Amino acid sequence: MIGWLTSTNHKQIGILYMMTTLFFFLIAGALALVIRQQLAVPHNGVVTAHAYNQVFTLHGTAMIFLVVAPFAFGLANYLVPLQIGAPDMAYPRLNALSVWLFILGGITIFLGVFAQGGAADTGWTAYAPLSTIIEGSGAGEDLWLVGVLLNSIASIMVAINLTATIFLFRCPGMTMWRMPIFTWEMLATALLILMAFPSLAAVICELLLERHYGAHFFNPSYGGDPILYEHLFWFFGHPEVYVMILPYFGIVAEIVAVFSRKPLFGYTGMVLSAFAIAGLSMGVWAHHMFTTGVIANGFFSGMSFLIAVPTGVKYWNWIGTMWKGNIAFRVPMLFCIGFLFNFLIGGVTGVMIASPPIDYHAEDSYFIVAHFHYTLGGGALFAAFAAVYFWFPKIAGFKLSERLGSLHFWLMTVGFNVAFLPQFVLGMEGMPRRVYTYGATGDLPWLNLLSTIGAWIMFFGVALFALNLLVSYFAREAAGDDPWGGYSLEWATTSPPPEFNFHALPPIRSERPVWDARQ
Amino acid sequence: MPVFDPASAQGNVLGGVWLIFIAGALFVAAFVYGLLIYALAKWRKRGEGIPPQFKTNTFWEITGVIIPLLMVGGLFAVTLLGEYRVDAVENKPYAVVDAGAFRWSWQFKYAGSGITVDGTPDSPPTLVLAVGKTTQIDLHSADVVHAFWIPAFLFKRDATPGYTQHFDVTPTRTGTFEGKCVEFCGLDHARMTFSVRVVSQAAYDRWVSSGGTAAL
Repeated sequence: MIGWLTSTNHKQIGILYMMTTLFFFLIAGALALVIRQQLAVPHNGVVTAHAYNQVFTLHGTAMIFLVVAPFAFGLANYLVPLQIGAPDMAYPRLNALSVWLFILGGITIFLGVFAQGGAADTGWTAYAPLSTIIEGSGAGEDLWLVGVLLNSIASIMVAINLTATIFLFRCPGMTMWRMPIFTWEMLATALLILMAFPSLAAVICELLLERHYGAHFFNPSYGGDPILYEHLFWFFGHPEVYVMILPYFGIVAEIVAVFSRKPLFGYTGMVLSAFAIAGLSMGVWAHHMFTTGVIANGFFSGMSFLIAVPTGVKYWNWIGTMWKGNIAFRVPMLFCIGFLFNFLIGGVTGVMIASPPIDYHAEDSYFIVAHFHYTLGGGALFAAFAAVYFWFPKIAGFKLSERLGSLHFWLMTVGFNVAFLPQFVLGMEGMPRRVYTYGATGDLPWLNLLSTIGAWIMFFGVALFALNLLVSYFAREAAGDDPWGGYSLEWATTSPPPEFNFHALPPIRSERPVWDARQ
Repeated sequence: MPVFDPASAQGNVLGGVWLIFIAGALFVAAFVYGLLIYALAKWRKRGEGIPPQFKTNTFWEITGVIIPLLMVGGLFAVTLLGEYRVDAVENKPYAVVDAGAFRWSWQFKYAGSGITVDGTPDSPPTLVLAVGKTTQIDLHSADVVHAFWIPAFLFKRDATPGYTQHFDVTPTRTGTFEGKCVEFCGLDHARMTFSVRVVSQAAYDRWVSSGGTAAL
């Protein structure tokens, strides 16, 4: 116990990160069920409007800041040093500080539940002046702000650490162009965090100053400007979207290659596309503001369209990797295939809403809700499960059950699509997001009920995952060093790896040293 | 479904953009799904053989950049053409309505008529428009960011404190349509609705000259 609290070892810190995200995932998932239960039928009364607003705020905040992004940080903490043949991260104590700030930040956000007036209820975007002059005057909003501030500082620390580790700690022979694709994607992610997250930290500080110290950054009565808030927030917020997907692109690329028994197709293109996405994503933030009427819509629309090109390159290369392969449908691969099918829907609808005339109808409707759940849920979350099934044997030393795993996959796939496909139609029919109730008009009642049924199917999927962890823990089927026929250096050491990772390294002649050593 | 059956002139332009994008999305999805299903079915695991270990193919990799570039280029052109037509504001609209958003309802003031309609969450106000005539909406907010959305017109605009937004709506058929606030604005956001009543020009003129008391 004391060992975990004081550890500076990258593997223990990575596990701490991932266990914390699992904990918050279960909470945020339960909140999602409250949302779907409330919306199952028109004029429902499962929760009050005030409670509902807190529930969706905490659901979004937790999934974004405490689950999807930090799970990738945790996995990167565990894997990046292993993949580049390093004994640890570059700054182990900074690493420990970042994980504990992250955990503290998450607890701080949720402590708002016990505050007078309840937790924050202004959505994860906390638009000013809703979050400053009128609403959210309670301590819950302040706890939310402080928690998110801690989270942003922790994220910046992770990014510094990963960047330094990747540039400085590669073992002899591990040139940049031999790094595994996950490590490359994490480098792009880390650089993106360094550019985007300071804007979040700044805007949170401005909100705190405005709420408590009489500043007027966003109050038009005193010469402030609410649009300034939207710019600062989305200058962070859109790159954040890619912080939450680039690592998962890397995971999918690694797993698809291993289970196709082929090298990653278009490795150079994959690396370049990651940096193209990261670079372009710094210039698209105002596409969240197309309906404000005060934005150069054409510019931000064009930049947003361009992101489809490097993302298309990724799809092209994933398919190229499978082409003429020998594809084994093991559970990690199943989740990657699920990712490819789901994320495509998120992608094509993403191109749609890059167009302002589409946003004039879709913006802030359930169409948007469906779109980003297809990218973050059907995309990132599926890839996260793929990563869990793929690297769990390395981390724990024993395997997860394939049978329960594939059942988990099918329930998630069916549940996810039943839950979120109807939401595109709900949005197009006129249902706004962030509403606690709706009238019995058009197709709204049955589509909402369908969506709720899908959410419950996902619940059973996640329950099977928990069962799988438990059953596999007691079965303890030894994994061996390399259960899948892996490519990168983490498969060249024991499962779990020793404290400083390697006793000896194979020669590194390509981006697949462990494959090379097997031949 | 308003996307396939918009009820305003601007909505017809926007609906056209929607149709092109839906067609494009379905085409890309069908193409990529086709490739995925083909690859997964044809090269599913058969024995322990080692497949060909190719890593690159310059022709196909460049093709994979150029095709999406051309597609988004086309979609960008459609976007710009559609947007300029919808954002255009007429010099001499038939009517001008000042729409004020506040927590949690709307106030509609009809310019030159003295008619003011105030709503509450329990009794949402009605916005009256003449069919086939352009009404300019001057949109503003008294407190936080709201957004004015008429789904049947496929159009919304944010009401940001400190800004007044001008846009045109030209309904193409009579009827009653829903309007709602679509930027989260706090406790009763879900109940910040209004209805849109589109009537004949004659009925509209009668209603305005009666100071908003004549039956519609």
